[in-house]
Amino acid sequence: MTTFRKLNVSKVRDVDVVIFKDSKILDEELLDELRTELLAVVGQRTAPDVLLDFSNVEFMSSAMLGLLGVVHRKMKKADGRLKMCSIRPEIFTVFKLTNLDKLFSIYGDAGEAMKAFE
Amino acid sequence: MNAVDIVVAEDSRIQARMLEKVLVDAGHTVRLAEHGGKALELVRERRPDVIISDIEMPEMDGYAFCKAVKTDPELRSVPLILLSTLSDPVDIIRGLDAGADNYVTKPYDPPYLLARMGDLLSTPLDLDTAGEATLDVTLAGQTFQVRAGRQQVLNLLVSTFENAVTKNRELVVVNRDLSLARDELQRSNQELTVLNERISRANAHMTRDLEAAARVQQSLLPDQDVSVPQVDLAWRYVPCTSLAGDFLNVFQLDAEHVGLYVVDVSGHGVPSSLMAVTVGRFLSPKVSDSSLLVRHDGNGGVKVASPSEVAFKLNELFQADEFSGLYFTMLYGVLHVPTGALRYVSAGHTPLAQVSKDGTATLHEISGFPIGFVPEVEFDEESLTLAAGDRIYLYSDGVPEAMNAEREQFGDEAMKRVLSQGRGDALDDTVAALLSTVEAWCVPNGPLDDVSILGLEWGGGA
Repeated sequence: MTTFRKLNVSKVRDVDVVIFKDSKILDEELLDELRTELLAVVGQRTAPDVLLDFSNVEFMSSAMLGLLGVVHRKMKKADGRLKMCSIRPEIFTVFKLTNLDKLFSIYGDAGEAMKAFE
Repeated sequence: MNAVDIVVAEDSRIQARMLEKVLVDAGHTVRLAEHGGKALELVRERRPDVIISDIEMPEMDGYAFCKAVKTDPELRSVPLILLSTLSDPVDIIRGLDAGADNYVTKPYDPPYLLARMGDLLSTPLDLDTAGEATLDVTLAGQTFQVRAGRQQVLNLLVSTFENAVTKNRELVVVNRDLSLARDELQRSNQELTVLNERISRANAHMTRDLEAAARVQQSLLPDQDVSVPQVDLAWRYVPCTSLAGDFLNVFQLDAEHVGLYVVDVSGHGVPSSLMAVTVGRFLSPKVSDSSLLVRHDGNGGVKVASPSEVAFKLNELFQADEFSGLYFTMLYGVLHVPTGALRYVSAGHTPLAQVSKDGTATLHEISGFPIGFVPEVEFDEESLTLAAGDRIYLYSDGVPEAMNAEREQFGDEAMKRVLSQGRGDALDDTVAALLSTVEAWCVPNGPLDDVSILGLEWGGGA
C-alpha cells in the first residue's frame, strides 16, 4: 500500500480508514498536500468505502471544508460511501453552521461508523 | 633502487603508517619506532640502509637521535633524512649541527621522498672529514658553530635548496590556481549580481501586480460617500495578506431598498481573491447583464431580487471545481428602509448580530450550505423587523474565530459584549472598537484570517 505523509491509511474489512496525522489543519501548504493524498486514497476505484477519522484534529480552517466537499463529490460520482467520525465539538459547530452535518455522514467514533458500513 | 632496510622514527601513528605504506609499496622493508630512543635501539640492533626521522617526538627528538647516530662510529655512515616543517630558519642549523644528511619538508610527495633516498644511497658519504671541522655559520644575525663533515653540509644544503625550489614551484602553481579561482569567483559574483537584479526586478513586478490586484479588490468595498436617509453605516475590512478572500459591500438598490453583504471565500491569497473579484461582479447594485441583485422591471424601474433568489443563482454559477475546492459563505440582506423589514439569507455564514437600543445583543443562527457545495439547493430566507435604533452587524468568521497566542478563540460572547457595550457610542466607534478588540486578542501574531465587519443602524421610518 502507498504510504502517505499526512495520513495513516489502513484497510479494515474493505473500508479504507483514513486518520489525519496533524492536529492543526490550518495552512494552505498542508491543505494542498491533503488534497493530493485524499484524492489518491479515493483513487479511480468504483464504489470505494472510505472513513475519515478526525480524532487527532484539534484545529481546522474552513478551507478544509471545501476539500471535504471535493472528496464528497468524487466519492458520490464513484458510487462510494464516505463517512466521517470523531470530530471535536468545536470543529463540529462549523459543520453545523454550514449545514454540512446534514450533507456528510458523521458518527461519534470509528466503531459506530464501521457498524454503519455493514 | 634496490630494496633496502629503513628505520622510520615518527610519533604520529597515522603518518608512520602512511610513510610505511609508501616505502613498502616501493619494495623496501620498514621498521617503525615511535620516538628517537626506540629508533636508536632498532638501528643498534641491526644497521639499516637508510634512516628517516621526524623532528618533534617525545622521549628523544629527531636532532638528538640524529646526533646519536652520527657520533656512533658504527652507524654514522648510514644516511639520515630529517622530516621537517622548516618553519624556523634555525632548524637548518640544528639539522647541520646534528649531522643530518638530507631534509625533506612535510607534507611531502612520496616520489620526491623516494628520489631523495635514491640520491643519498647512490652517493656514499665522505666520512674522512666528517665530524672534524668546526664551521662558523651566521644566520639571522646569530652565529652558530657547526661541526659536520663537508660532504654532509653540502648534501644537506643542496637538499634544502632543492626542497626550497620544489616548494617554490608548488607555490607558483598554487598561486596560478588561486588567481584562476579568483577570476572564477569574480565571474560568479558578476553572475550573482545579474541574477539578484533579475530577482529583485521580478519581485518588484509581482509586488506591483499584487498591489494592483489589491486595488481591484478595494473597488468591491462600499463607496466612501454611500449615504442613505434613516440609515447609518460603518464598516472595517482588514485582509490578513495583501489579497483577501473576504469582501463586503452596502449600497442602495432602489429608492426604498438597501442591500448589504459580507462574503468570505475559503482560503486567502491569489486564488481566493480572484474568486472574490469574480463573485463581486455578480453582486453589483447597478443593473447589468451580470448583476444578480437588480434587474429592469420593464416599466423603466428596477426590480430587486430576493435574497434567496440571489443565493440560489450564485450557487448555480459557482459550484466548486474538483481541483481548487474553493467555495464561499455569504450573508446577504435587503432592508426595506421605510418599514425596517429585513430579509436575509445565510449561505453557511456566521450569524447575523442584532443589537437593540437597550443594548441586548442577539445572534440569529441559521444554517445553510455554503455557496458552491451542493448544486440545486434552495436557501431559506429569514426575515426580521427592526425597531427604530436597532443595529445589525454582518461579519466574517475572522471575528469570532480569531485566535490568541494560547489558540483560544475570541468567541461569540466576547463579540456580543463589545457590541452591547458600544450601544451608547456612535456606530462607527463600535465597529472600530470591535476590530481593535479582535486585534488586541491576537497580539502578538495578529489575525490569521481576514477580518470584515459591517454595521447598520436603522433610524426608524421616515
